[in-house]
Amino acid sequence: MDPKIINVGYGKVAKVPIGGRLPLVFIGGPCAIESRDHALMMAERIGKICRKLEMPWIYKSCYDKDCRSSPDSFHGMGVDRGLSVLSAVRDEFGVPVVSDFSDPSWGPATGEVCDLVQVPAYLCRQTSMLRAAAQTGRPVHLKKGQFMSPWNMKNSVRKIEAAGNDQVLLADRGTFLGYNMLVNDMRSFPIMMETGYPVCFDATHSIQLPTSMGNISGGQREYIPYLVRAAAACGINALFMEVHDDPDNALSDANTVLDIKYLENILGQAKVAHQMRLGLLEKYGEDNVHLEK
Amino acid sequence: MRVSEIMLKPEKFPVLPARTLLKEALEAMGRSNLGIACIVDERSHLLGILTDGDIRRKLLKVQKPFSAFFVDDALVHSIRTPATIRPSSTLIESIELMGKKQIWDLPVVEESGKLVGLLHLHPAIRAVLGMDR
Repeated sequence: MDPKIINVGYGKVAKVPIGGRLPLVFIGGPCAIESRDHALMMAERIGKICRKLEMPWIYKSCYDKDCRSSPDSFHGMGVDRGLSVLSAVRDEFGVPVVSDFSDPSWGPATGEVCDLVQVPAYLCRQTSMLRAAAQTGRPVHLKKGQFMSPWNMKNSVRKIEAAGNDQVLLADRGTFLGYNMLVNDMRSFPIMMETGYPVCFDATHSIQLPTSMGNISGGQREYIPYLVRAAAACGINALFMEVHDDPDNALSDANTVLDIKYLENILGQAKVAHQMRLGLLEKYGEDNVHLEK
Repeated sequence: MRVSEIMLKPEKFPVLPARTLLKEALEAMGRSNLGIACIVDERSHLLGILTDGDIRRKLLKVQKPFSAFFVDDALVHSIRTPATIRPSSTLIESIELMGKKQIWDLPVVEESGKLVGLLHLHPAIRAVLGMDR
């Protein structure tokens, strides 16, 4: 299957193509939109790092966190307020934005503002969600459910295509290994690439220990750099990481979000690993060892 | 006697679009009681054929789990340059070709590459032997 390029960004923001042998794209920001000021501050800081590294990027933050472990956890700013903040980030910094949405009825509003619409991993096979995402007309960031095999994601891709959208980015955010534990199967990337669509590695959710702390999720942030290097060397088109200036006090995913003070270091390494990977492709050609004929 | 007189018309055997999953192709073959499916593009041009024998050989070779095998595109496991015949070919030469290739079915393809039918061995032999008269 020939690799497809998806194009993120409409209107006046930067155009960010993802796929093929293009530069690695960073997708990141705080897990949840905490306030307008915080979102703008984070966008400015991340943007500065990405400019320095000459790395195309997309700002990520969500207006509604519907999969929190506890009913008392921060749920988000809500559709209208949250999207107005994302709209401000677009206008202020000219960066494309992405948010997930957890209810099909929020699809149209999300697509009206966001350059990329994200389907949460837990909802990755819900037909109504996939149809709603597709019908926004925006590229769709589809996360592989922790319970899904990478090859079965093709069914979800087909649902999006059936609704008239052929701009999909497939992400791996880990696979359940028993209870409260995720592992990354690096085979997920070439397998999901067989759909023809670009693939993304979600590093910060991959080190999550889902609901391991009773009513919240834990995480092992120390492994983020190892997994990022491994994924970039394996072959990905985009890298997703949630970033915060004060992880301990982040309103969502405090145990997994990356401290922004490490962002430049990790993105820099990811960029080098990605470029080396592209160099290997140039030198040795496509990986087709023992490809089933 | 010409192939066009005896061949199965496309609605009588599995003719599948390029993006059919292997599982869907196997189901279509089962429904038609034929050991072959033809995969075509939007213009009905033949892209490949999938046969029971191809799948049997793959089962001994493919190491991936069935759940992954089933969601492969059928085209990936198909024969991309199968033996074919023209509608104007004679039944005798077609049966000879099937004997030589040790196959039971021949896709019937126009010069343009368009699939117009399938010659199955049993009806071809019945016709040659005059059993349908």
